[in-house]
Amino acid sequence: MKKKLLSVVLAAAMMSTLLTGCGNDTSNGSSADAPAGGQQSSETTGGQTSAEEVTLKWAIWDQETTQYWGDIKNAYEASHPGVTVEMVDLGSTDYMTVLATELSGSGTDFDVVTIKDVPGYATLVQKNAILALDDYIAADGVDLSQYAGATDQVTVDGKLYELPFRNDFWVIFYNKDLFDAKGVAYPTNDMTFAEYDALARQMTDTTFGSQVYGAHYHTWRSAVQLFGVLDGEHTILDGEYSFFKPYYEMVLNQEADGVARKYSDLKTEGLHYSAAFSGGDVAMLNMGSWFIATMISNLNSGEYDSSLCGNWGIVKYPHAEGVEAGSTLGTITGLAVTTATDTPDAAWDFVKWVSGSEGAAVMASSGNFPAIMTDEVKDMIAGLDGFPTDAESKEALTVSNLYLEVPYAPNVSEINSVLDSYHGSIMTGEISIDEGIEKMNSEVQKILNQ
Amino acid sequence: MPKMDAAQKEARIDSLQGELTQLIEAVRTEADEKKKRRMITKIGSLHRQIDKIRANRILSRETKRDLVAYSFIAPNFIGFCVFTLIPIVFAFCLAFLQWDGSNPIEWVGIKNFTRLTDDIFFQAALKNTIIYCVGTVPLTMIASLALAIVLNQKVKGRGIFRTLAFFPYVASLVAITSVWKMLFHPSKGPINNVLYNVFGVAQENLPQWFTGGLVLLSMILFSVWKYMGYYMVIYLAGLQGISSELYEAASLDGAGTWAKFRYVTWPQLSSTTFFVVVMLTINCFKVYDIAVMLAGGGSGELTTSSTVLVYYIYQKAFIDWDLGYSSAVAMVLFLMVLVVTIIQFRGQAKKERA
Repeated sequence: MKKKLLSVVLAAAMMSTLLTGCGNDTSNGSSADAPAGGQQSSETTGGQTSAEEVTLKWAIWDQETTQYWGDIKNAYEASHPGVTVEMVDLGSTDYMTVLATELSGSGTDFDVVTIKDVPGYATLVQKNAILALDDYIAADGVDLSQYAGATDQVTVDGKLYELPFRNDFWVIFYNKDLFDAKGVAYPTNDMTFAEYDALARQMTDTTFGSQVYGAHYHTWRSAVQLFGVLDGEHTILDGEYSFFKPYYEMVLNQEADGVARKYSDLKTEGLHYSAAFSGGDVAMLNMGSWFIATMISNLNSGEYDSSLCGNWGIVKYPHAEGVEAGSTLGTITGLAVTTATDTPDAAWDFVKWVSGSEGAAVMASSGNFPAIMTDEVKDMIAGLDGFPTDAESKEALTVSNLYLEVPYAPNVSEINSVLDSYHGSIMTGEISIDEGIEKMNSEVQKILNQ
Repeated sequence: MPKMDAAQKEARIDSLQGELTQLIEAVRTEADEKKKRRMITKIGSLHRQIDKIRANRILSRETKRDLVAYSFIAPNFIGFCVFTLIPIVFAFCLAFLQWDGSNPIEWVGIKNFTRLTDDIFFQAALKNTIIYCVGTVPLTMIASLALAIVLNQKVKGRGIFRTLAFFPYVASLVAITSVWKMLFHPSKGPINNVLYNVFGVAQENLPQWFTGGLVLLSMILFSVWKYMGYYMVIYLAGLQGISSELYEAASLDGAGTWAKFRYVTWPQLSSTTFFVVVMLTINCFKVYDIAVMLAGGGSGELTTSSTVLVYYIYQKAFIDWDLGYSSAVAMVLFLMVLVVTIIQFRGQAKKERA
């Protein structure tokens, strides 16, 4: 009797774990699996019928922490009855790798995908995973000049595969309270690198226990290497990288003197730049404009302590001697239509809407920078509650020259890997700057000659 | 088998019987072992054929039994075939092809392998993996053997110590690498603080545990600490299989502790050691998670000082989408592990024969 009871209980436990396993699997798979049953039927009807019931599957990341995805979906569905937008969150770490894997081969049912960076874009273009949009652009008369040349830098053999809907550029964030406490004047919108370095050193306090870091460089190579592309004469595709040297020297000297946190420390701890700046001990941080929306929303919600970082501002990126102020790095986030979609027209309509002026308005309303930057959009963002109120910050939104962090090239993904790897080796001190640059030159030359 | 009428059947059975009788005669006088075995097999099959015809069956009893057996294995074997065997074969073929996952496959012959000789990242990965292997295998083996010997004696609280030694193996890798990174943090970690304050090491000379030359040392130390518990358990089982009579005989002959270890324990453990070393070697060549967690920073990317073969295979396959080249690297890894394992098997076979 006991044995029988035990075996029945064990069998029941096994069955229940089996079933919960199944249930968890599907819910972890995609964010919209609760209506999985209903969605299946609407997808098949969407494919067959004309414009009535269409579901567009859209690949995104960080759905919970970023507000504009939901805003865009709601606004589009409101203005286009009969279309349902189904968002699938692929996570922001390795987003492009996961997306490329998903779109490999056949059998994917994504219609619209967000393109996070250019190396991933290059990969998708080579894999024929996304459609060329030129026919649609010509048919609907989309004016590409409203993107201020950004689309030219991602054209492949004369064809355009994505439309940008978000355009971020790099600025300097600074902590006004720290500057006030030291009695030092705020950074200006027209600083040379020498002035920036001097200011960072002035603000530094190395007393143990109450350190103030004049600057903070995130572990991405773009935070250090790309100071060098601002004069417009070099890009990361050159194959010759001696133009990085002065900036590596500046940053490594700053780290050695305690002006900025050491790269090896940051890599070991995995400290995020947002945690560093919101901790209130970093005077200046060079980062992209996407951080503005994060600062605004997290200060509003109370996640960041406003006594530590509530009094913040932005100024334009520093520039080399003789380079126009307001020259800065940019990165575009775009939307593309997959080749595997069975509703390309509906997908294109969505892409066009989000990248156009209506989508721009939705993006600006939550403090994000749409690809179409007009004065109205700038006023809207500057007028948001939480955006720094001083005139300098508003002025910083005006960009004179925008250089893409990673311009398009067919083998840009491999070049990116090489530069990333040697950046890490130089910053940790494993190899000297000269050796690192030499290696970068030779390795990238090999890739360019392939 | 085509249907035969009674007369044909009788004729067939007669001819088979004739063959059978002849063979039985021949087997009795046959000297050569191999030929004899073959004739005996033939006799068996002749018997089966005669039975088949007599009993009017399409399949003989033996064949039916075999089919039933195969049908039991089939579910597992089909799964193995589809999900493991075929992909492995395809991976071997892929090393000679060029493919990026979406475009048509192209044949490139050995071009992938010639590319390997010129590739700095591959050489760095290979070097790091070999150094890691050479460092980890002996250290882990010695540590686990020492622990097993000590904890095999009647020490007080040896159950607790065995659990403590085994615990790192069970703990989650992500959790313990985080703690490890905190302990060995270059500027805030207690280890470097002790070095700075107690041993007076200058601040610039403090070891940077996760970068440069020391990162492999950190990986080796971490790996030894994590896995020695597991191999300790295996050694304990081996030790408990040594009969105490051997030790008694040794003491009677006047053997000290070291002599007992050298002449009784170590030879008796040879097959356990063989197993431990083979497992350790294979697992060391496969290292990936430890490297990425300890040295990968937040983004999980490895530089040339800490990159390992499996990471390079992943990087080439899913970041650069160069699947053929990645398979070539995987084949190199396979050959290395194969060679090492074959050497060890040969060595063990020789020992057992001796």
